[in-house]
Amino acid sequence: MIRLVAGLLVAAVTLALPAVLDDSALAVYILLGLAAMVTVGVSLLMGYAGQVSLGQGAFYAIGAYTAALLALGGVPPVAGLVAAPVVAAASALVIGVPLLRLRGHHLAFATLAMQLILLSLAGQLEFTGGDIGLQAIPQFSVGSFEAGSASAYAYLTWAGVALVMLVTHNVIASRPGRALRALATSETAAASSGIPVGRYKLVVFALSAAFAGLAGGIYCFYTGYVAPGSFPVLISIQYIVMAVVGGLGTIWGAVVGATAITLLVQGLNSLAALPGMPSYAPSVLSYAVYALVLIGVVLFLPHGLLPAVAGRLSRKRESLRAR
Amino acid sequence: MIDVKDLVVSYGTATALEHVTLTVGRGELVALLGPNGAGKSTLANTLAGLLTPASGTVSIGGRLALIPEGRQLFPDLTVADNLALGGWRSGQRDPSPVYDLLPRLAELAGRRAGVLSGGEQQMVAFGRAMMSRPEVLVVDELSLGLAPNVTADLAAHLAELNRSQGLTVLLIEQNARLAFELCRRAYVLESGRVVTEGDSAELAGDPRVASAYLGGAIT
Amino acid sequence: MSAFLTYLLNGLAVGCAIALIASGLVVIHRVTGVVNFAQGTFAVVAGLCMSSLLGMGLPHGLSEVAAVLVAALAGLLTGLAAIGRRGTTALSALIITLGVGVLAYAVEIVLWGDQPRSAPGLAGSVIVAGARIQTQHLLVIGVTAATFVLLALFFGRTYLGKALTACASNPYAARVVGIDTRLMGLLAFALGGLLGGLAGVLVTPLRPISFDTDVTLIVNGFAAAVFGALTRPVITLAGALLLGVAETMAAGYGYGSHQLEIALGLMIVVMIVQAGRRPAVTQEST
Repeated sequence: MIRLVAGLLVAAVTLALPAVLDDSALAVYILLGLAAMVTVGVSLLMGYAGQVSLGQGAFYAIGAYTAALLALGGVPPVAGLVAAPVVAAASALVIGVPLLRLRGHHLAFATLAMQLILLSLAGQLEFTGGDIGLQAIPQFSVGSFEAGSASAYAYLTWAGVALVMLVTHNVIASRPGRALRALATSETAAASSGIPVGRYKLVVFALSAAFAGLAGGIYCFYTGYVAPGSFPVLISIQYIVMAVVGGLGTIWGAVVGATAITLLVQGLNSLAALPGMPSYAPSVLSYAVYALVLIGVVLFLPHGLLPAVAGRLSRKRESLRAR
Repeated sequence: MIDVKDLVVSYGTATALEHVTLTVGRGELVALLGPNGAGKSTLANTLAGLLTPASGTVSIGGRLALIPEGRQLFPDLTVADNLALGGWRSGQRDPSPVYDLLPRLAELAGRRAGVLSGGEQQMVAFGRAMMSRPEVLVVDELSLGLAPNVTADLAAHLAELNRSQGLTVLLIEQNARLAFELCRRAYVLESGRVVTEGDSAELAGDPRVASAYLGGAIT
Repeated sequence: MSAFLTYLLNGLAVGCAIALIASGLVVIHRVTGVVNFAQGTFAVVAGLCMSSLLGMGLPHGLSEVAAVLVAALAGLLTGLAAIGRRGTTALSALIITLGVGVLAYAVEIVLWGDQPRSAPGLAGSVIVAGARIQTQHLLVIGVTAATFVLLALFFGRTYLGKALTACASNPYAARVVGIDTRLMGLLAFALGGLLGGLAGVLVTPLRPISFDTDVTLIVNGFAAAVFGALTRPVITLAGALLLGVAETMAAGYGYGSHQLEIALGLMIVVMIVQAGRRPAVTQEST
C-alpha cells in the first residue's frame, strides 16, 4: 500500500514537473532522465551480470548516430527512435559474443577500448560527419505532432525512463532474472547449477545497450546535433558513478543515483558560474565530485554496491527496492 | 605456552569456533583431532594471528610458527628462497641451520618449490616454519596426502625437536593414530566445539573416539 | 631503408615508454591483484611536475628525480585508497583507481591548467646506421633498459623483492610467514608510481602532455601488459615494443589516423585469445 502511494506520488511529480520548470531547468530534467535510462542498464549489467562496462557511452553514441542518420536521411523520426535501441542492442550482440568471454578488468578495458575505437571512427568517417558530427537533425515528431518544446522532450524522456524501468522490472522478476542474481555472485556456481551463463550475460549486455541507445536517440532529437565530442570516456564513468551511488542491481537505485549526481553537478556548476570563480571551475568541480563520490561510496558505503558483495547484502537490497 | 579461553571466531554471520578453551604447556606435544570442517584450521589461523577472534582470549607465550594446511609454499620461488622468507619475522635469512636439521633440503635448495613432491613440499614447509626459530609450532595436517613413511619421518623430526630443544607442538590432525602415537594429550574438536579432551591413551580407549577416528584411519 | 630504421628506433622509444607504464601495472597487479587504472595518471603528474620544476629554474636531473618521486608518492596515495581498507575486492579497487584518475584531473587542472605542456629534454640527434634519431629517443631506450635490468635484480636477488614476489605467488602463505601483504601492496603501488613517473619524465620532451593524456597512456600500457597476462614483465616488455613499433610504423607509412584502433583492436584480440585458454574459475578472483 505504502509502495503504491509512493509510486503514484513519484509518478505525479514526474508528470507535473515539465509544466512548472523553466527551459534551463527542463534541460537538466531531460539530461537527468537520459542518464537514468542508461544507468538502469549499467546497474543491471553490474549488479546482475557482475560485469563492469567502461564503454556504455559507446551504445549511447550508437543510438544517437543511428537516429540522427535515419532522420537526416528522411526516415520518420519515430522509426529513427525505434531503430536507435535496436541497432545499439544488435551491435552489443555482435560485439558481445567475443567480448563477453572476458571478465573483470579485462572486460572493463575492452569496453573502454570499444568506445575509444568507435569515437575515433566516428571522428574520421565521412558519413558520420567526422569531428564536426551531424547537424540540423529534424525535431522529433509523431504524425502531425512535432515535439517543438522542451517540455515535450521531457515527457518523451520520462516515458522512456518508465519503459526502461518496466522492462527491467519484468526481467528481474522473471525466472531467468533470479538466475542472473546468482550470476553476479559467482559465475562458476551459476554455471554449475545449469544456468546458461553466457547467453544470459549477452542478453543483459544487449538490454543495457538498448537502454543506452534509446537515450541516445532521444538525445539527438533534443539537441539537434551529435558529434564524437558529445560522448567522452568520462560519460561512461559518469554512469558507473551513478549506478554505484544508487546501489547496483536496483532499478530505483539507478534513478536515485542519476538524480543525485546530476543535481549535485548542476548545483556545483551554478556555484562555479558565480563571479570571481576561475574559468576552469566547472570542469574541476565536476571531476572532483565524480571522483570523490565514487571513491567514497565504494569505500564507505559498499552495501549493495559491488557484485562481489551483492550476495551478502541481498537483504539490504530487498529493502532498498521499494516499489 | 598456548592459552585459549572461551574463543569465538566467526566468518561473517557463520560461527566457526564456539567457546573453545584449550591449553598447551611449555614443552608439551598436544594433538587436536577432528573431522573436516570442525574448525581446526580456523583455530590454527587464529593462533597464528591471521584471524581476529570475535570474543575470548588467545595468549601465546613465545614465538609461534604455523605449518599451514596444504603446505602453502611459494611455488614460483626456490626452496632456498622459501626458507629465507620463513625468517621474515626473526630476521634470520641464512637457511643453513635448517639444512643441518633437514639435510635433504640442502640438496633441493635450487629447485622451484612448485615442482617438488608432496613429501618434499611438506619438508620445505617444516623448514620454513623452523626458520623463524619458533618456541611453539602449530602443525596443521602434517600427514595429509603423504605416504606413511614420509609422515613417520617428519613426525620423528618433530619428536626429536621436542625432546632436544623443548619445542612446544600443537599437532592438528585427522590421523588419530599418528596423533596418539606422538602426543601425550589430545583435544577433539567437532562443529567448532571441544567435545572431549584427555590423555591419548584414555582417548584411544574411548569407544566413540575409537570408532570415529581410529576405525577408518590406517597408517 | 633509413626511413624504416628511423621509424623502428622511434617506435622502440615509444614502446619503451609504454613498457614502463605497463611494468608498473604488472608490478601492482602481481602483488595486489588490482589493475591500476590510474597508472597513466602517474606519468602525467610526473611530466607536468617536471615542466613546472624546470620552468622554475631547477636544473635537469634534479627536476626529473623530484618529478618521479612525486609520482611515487601519488602511487602510494592511490594504493592507500585502493587497498588501504580491509575487504576491498580487486574489482572495487579498480573502480577506486578509476576515481583516483578522475580526481587527478581536478587537481591537475587547478595546478597546471588544461592545456598541454612540454619540457625540454636532451637536444640534438645522432645518426645511427644512416638513420637520424633524436638523442631523447636514445635516452628513453637506455633508461628503460636499465630500469628493466634493475627491476629484474630487485625482484630476483633482493630479500624485499622476493617478499614482494611471495605476495604475488601465495598471499596467504606470505601472511603465514609474517609478511604484511597490505604494506607490500602499498610498496608495489609506490613502485608503480615511480615507474609511471619515469615514463612521464621521459615522454614529456617528446610529445606534450596534458591532464587527459592518461587515457592513451593507460590503454597502451594495459594493451602491452595483457600480452604478459598482467603478470610477466619480459613478455610485457616485448608486447610494449611491438606496440610502439607497430604504431610508429603505421603513422610513418600513412596510416597514422588509425594507430589507436590498431593498438586497441590488437589488445582485445590478445585478451580474447587468452581468455579462451583459461578456465573461468581461475579468473573469478580477479
